[in-house]
Amino acid sequence: MKIRFWGVRGSIPAPGPETNRYGGNTSCVSVETSSGLVIIDMGTGLMHLGNALLAREFGKGQGRATILLSHTHWDHIQGLGFFAPVFIAGNQFTVWGPGGSPEVLEEILEGQMDPNFSPLQTLRNFSASFDVKAATDAFAVGGVTVRAKEHPHGQTTALAFRIEDAGKTFVYASDVGYVDGFDDLIELYRGADVLLHDTTYRPADQVTRRDRGFSSYEEACEAAIAAQVKRLVTFHYDQDYTDDDVDEIVAACEARLAPHGIAVTPAREGDELTVA
Amino acid sequence: MKVRFWGVRGSIPVPGRTTNRYGGNTSCVEVRPDRGDPIIIDAGTGIRKLGKSLMEEAFGEGKGRVSILISHTHWDHVQGLPFFSPLYRPGNQIQIFARQRDMHLEAVFSQQHHGAYFPIPLSDLHADMQFHEVIEGARFEIGEAKITCARLNHPWVAIAYRVDVDRAAVVYCADTAPFDDLLLGRDFIEKPHLGTLPPPVRDELAQMRAGVVALAKGADLLIYDTQFTPEEYKVRPHWGHSRPDDAIEIAREAKVKQLCLFHHAPLRSDDDNDRILQLARDTAGTLPVISAYEGLEVQL
Repeated sequence: MKIRFWGVRGSIPAPGPETNRYGGNTSCVSVETSSGLVIIDMGTGLMHLGNALLAREFGKGQGRATILLSHTHWDHIQGLGFFAPVFIAGNQFTVWGPGGSPEVLEEILEGQMDPNFSPLQTLRNFSASFDVKAATDAFAVGGVTVRAKEHPHGQTTALAFRIEDAGKTFVYASDVGYVDGFDDLIELYRGADVLLHDTTYRPADQVTRRDRGFSSYEEACEAAIAAQVKRLVTFHYDQDYTDDDVDEIVAACEARLAPHGIAVTPAREGDELTVA
Repeated sequence: MKVRFWGVRGSIPVPGRTTNRYGGNTSCVEVRPDRGDPIIIDAGTGIRKLGKSLMEEAFGEGKGRVSILISHTHWDHVQGLPFFSPLYRPGNQIQIFARQRDMHLEAVFSQQHHGAYFPIPLSDLHADMQFHEVIEGARFEIGEAKITCARLNHPWVAIAYRVDVDRAAVVYCADTAPFDDLLLGRDFIEKPHLGTLPPPVRDELAQMRAGVVALAKGADLLIYDTQFTPEEYKVRPHWGHSRPDDAIEIAREAKVKQLCLFHHAPLRSDDDNDRILQLARDTAGTLPVISAYEGLEVQL
């Protein structure tokens, strides 16, 4: 699997020189699997992924991709209206997301395109096929197995995804604020080659914002240790954190995880990580 | 008065090294009369940092008052509002003005805070918020400032605002298409057919254009949507944005003192914007032209 980061920021895009190195776009990750392209979350990073895809079969209306959606907060869907491949007939997208039923999820995505807010007016104005499905506990994308599990996220929940492809495992666990610890989730994370985990906050900043439903980097590290993963990817940095703040988060994770033999890769816009 | 730009971008925020100088935040402009409360025009992502700055003033103690004029509710003009810190402090008084819709404005803004999209409902914001529906032609006062409005040519209708205060005037004209090719309103246009316009449509556009020129008459600063290059406009006339030449024409006719290019296209780099500004200056002759960037302050 080849993982690439297009948006790594939480809550709202954060432009400015202070976010140049890690990037200011909201959540979007692409995963090239043996069964094609999988996209996770549709933050503003999705626009840039879409523009890059135009150079491939997606530019000719022959592209197919699976989109996994953790939840529908703005920072995870706001790139959709700017995703160029959906405006090219012939492309096919299947979205798996929360909501329990495809109708509910589609209605939520439709709400983003409401004429009050978007000139598109409705998802039906996409030219590509855009099939919305409710994620179940486990489903297959070609030969790739995906497992989805709800985790707490403030007043609501979000989905974590475990992707297994040819014996390698990538777990995406963003926007999680553990309430009673992470024991329920460990089984989903267990032994992953790569665990991408919410590291929105420094512990001191999380204390005053616990109701927002995000993790501190300490919790991410403890989860990585408990699940005996091989590598932790830091992700979903607070919009107010500068690159130097994120450097501090990454260094702290490295210090905590090195004794356990767990590597750390910071999610940075444009970076690629191969799991092989 | 002082005008300060917090977000100058159209469509979608664009962080990154190529937008450092002009800025990647979506539309938000602060108008500060010499005395009295601030007036904000549009609530794109730029309003987040403006909100933080206001919290250093009376807003941090819950004693702030601000009026927010919304040109239209497309995402790039409202998406920063949930991140505007003064909304979360009891005591602050926030007046939101936007064009009348089919739904009551409060219901429109509530949708942005629906639980599926954002964790905090509009009804849980602690500040005192009031919504005011306006239509083109409306005139009202905010403190000593006089506000007037005109309709723009944009899908689902946007309005331009003029703020007159301290013996100066600023006019905010975003988003709008030019007034010659298409009348934009409620219909979704997938592929535009350009050709001769039926007389009633031509008349409506001419009237709209006259309204914009009248609104801008003699203004000290005209902030104008110049998202498109001429080549881009040819492909997307139905998106509801103008070219610098359209802005220059209006500015000349209205005899404004200074024109400000605004609502830069998302993928436009800083160097591109420099070039567009230079071209506009070459065309504009004696009309002074500037291009909006985050942090730009203009004293009028």
